[in-house]
Amino acid sequence: MTSPETVRARILDLVRQYHAAKYSSASFDPAKDLVHYAGRVFDEEEIVNLVDAGLDFYLTANRYADRFEADFADYLGLSNALLVNSGSSANLVALTALTSPKLKDRRLKPGDEVITTACGFPTTLNPILQNRLIPVFVDVNLGDYTAIPERLADAVGPKTKAVMMAHTMGVPFHLDAVMDLVKKHNLWLIEDNCDALGSTYRGKLTGTFGHLSTCSFYPAHHITLGEGGCVSTDDDELARIARSIRDWGRDCYCAGGENNTCGKRFGQQFGALPFGYDHKYVYSHIGYNLKVTDMQAAVGCAQLRKLDKFIARRKENFRKITRLLKQCEDRLLLPRATEFSDPSWFGYVVTVKDQAGFSRNDLTSFLEANRIETRNLFSGNLLCHPAYQDIPHRVSGDLTNTDIVMNNTFFIGVYPGIDDKRLDHIRGVFDRFMAGERAS
Amino acid sequence: MATPQKLRCRAQKITDHGDHVYTVDLVPERPLPRFKPGQFLHLTLDDYDPSGFWPESRVFSIASSPARRDHLKISYSVKGRYTARMEKELHEGRMAWVKMPYGDFVIQDAGDVVLLAGGTGITAFIAFIESLTGVFHSSVYLAYGARKPELLLYRESIDAKAGANNGFHVRYFVESGSRSPELFAGRLSLEAIWNKLKDPENTAYYIAGPPAMIQTLTANLLKKEIAAEMIKVDAWE
Repeated sequence: MTSPETVRARILDLVRQYHAAKYSSASFDPAKDLVHYAGRVFDEEEIVNLVDAGLDFYLTANRYADRFEADFADYLGLSNALLVNSGSSANLVALTALTSPKLKDRRLKPGDEVITTACGFPTTLNPILQNRLIPVFVDVNLGDYTAIPERLADAVGPKTKAVMMAHTMGVPFHLDAVMDLVKKHNLWLIEDNCDALGSTYRGKLTGTFGHLSTCSFYPAHHITLGEGGCVSTDDDELARIARSIRDWGRDCYCAGGENNTCGKRFGQQFGALPFGYDHKYVYSHIGYNLKVTDMQAAVGCAQLRKLDKFIARRKENFRKITRLLKQCEDRLLLPRATEFSDPSWFGYVVTVKDQAGFSRNDLTSFLEANRIETRNLFSGNLLCHPAYQDIPHRVSGDLTNTDIVMNNTFFIGVYPGIDDKRLDHIRGVFDRFMAGERAS
Repeated sequence: MATPQKLRCRAQKITDHGDHVYTVDLVPERPLPRFKPGQFLHLTLDDYDPSGFWPESRVFSIASSPARRDHLKISYSVKGRYTARMEKELHEGRMAWVKMPYGDFVIQDAGDVVLLAGGTGITAFIAFIESLTGVFHSSVYLAYGARKPELLLYRESIDAKAGANNGFHVRYFVESGSRSPELFAGRLSLEAIWNKLKDPENTAYYIAGPPAMIQTLTANLLKKEIAAEMIKVDAWE
């Protein structure tokens, strides 16, 4: 009888052949193909890993998840990386972790304030609201779209306990200013690093400055697991709390299918439970189930090996697009990095200047009509959206630039799937628009 | 705690200390995950299929330094069925699986600490002791007891550290066979070190060893009005 190992090897070899037959001849026809703003970039390794994990049929997080978490923590140079099912879940877990009673008087309590921006993705803000905390909004710089550093100090009030902000579109926020503030006022810092994997500030990776950081592995991001995210920290206590919140709120940290890894399963006292109550079913937090499957992690393991290459391609595409749009600087505000930073760009963000003679929507309609995907800078101003109009909040100063972003800003892709043919197409379409052509 | 990893390891060296006490040096097939002094691992002698469930295993404190990610050291004493099987089957060159790291028995060296070790319980402290540097602002007291002098494991490296650190003080106890003045005869007792402690109430106590020893020492410390939160024990079922 053929051994399972032999059959597995044959299947995986067929998968390689399938990849070669199905995906190897990727061509681009500007007359019918879209230039996506983002997308998954992969080779046979991702599909082989995926099928390999499928053949394990463990289904829940197992060997690939273990490997990914170890390798990702090593990449950041941190002790702990916890896979979750999305970047949004990562933000939810990270902020909720700071409300844990285990943190005693350092825990965030309802009514405490958290400094953030309104110009971003909703799930940086949502966990603040979901935990009954009060967001304090600070305006952003145009060009780098991160919080104006001078405004941050003014935003701190007696109830301010944390900062939770994104490195918008890959651009590290002004970490010198933020870290000064964090130290001075003993604040928690969560870096929403979902768009900035591989960015550095003063040569240090973003995601390694805060008490906790988050990452997203949705296909639009630097690497993908399909759906996925990660919470990272060098603080073992926060990691344990975050793991509990991810895993139903339980106190036990055994992985699925494991028992008594702590060696104290029936020998501890918790709350008002009888002594020795099974640790597997002791809950120290009101948690969620936000875990990934091993199939997702298997794809991630292959993607992580390509990360450095992906980052280099994003930076290269950024440089090339800057070269081709340089001539439009009188009408378009091109993106820039914050001082001391080297962004691993998420996208190429453009703000249409007031005197441009056309609107953001004129330009994006033309690009879309010519099969170049565009996206607004996420929400623009979250406070203007139906879901957020009545939220409890405080605005420090004004949100003038945030409103400009809402009205005038968009981005196109820099992801590694954009090659020179696609860049040529982008150049041609921009040239036609700047020459006066408009979408019909 | 870093996400535990499962790794295949080769037993590189087995040291027989006599009286069914052994130290095992293991070499993992890939780099170890980060861990902290005081954490422990699970070891299984059975072959593990990564796509399946983890087989029966036992827990052992990691005695090697976290600075090395290519080497593990554990010590064990034959106490039951599984360790008897280890004595019989775990020979040099044999493969075994470990998963690690686990546990929160991590020494906080913010102030003075007392380490109370019985038998192979010393392994929970070895990585911490090895991490002690010449610059040490608070005091560490180690009281370490074994059945006989030969079973005082890691004594050479402990003595070397004590010689190099003014703040690291060691007291050995042996139940029998004491032939030198630096070994206290009898079981490990708090009384023998108590008058050396500068501020017992504000000292943290870490206890690792046989359950009966942990129980007795914990009760004694509580009787001396040491707050329960200052007492940490390395207890497994």
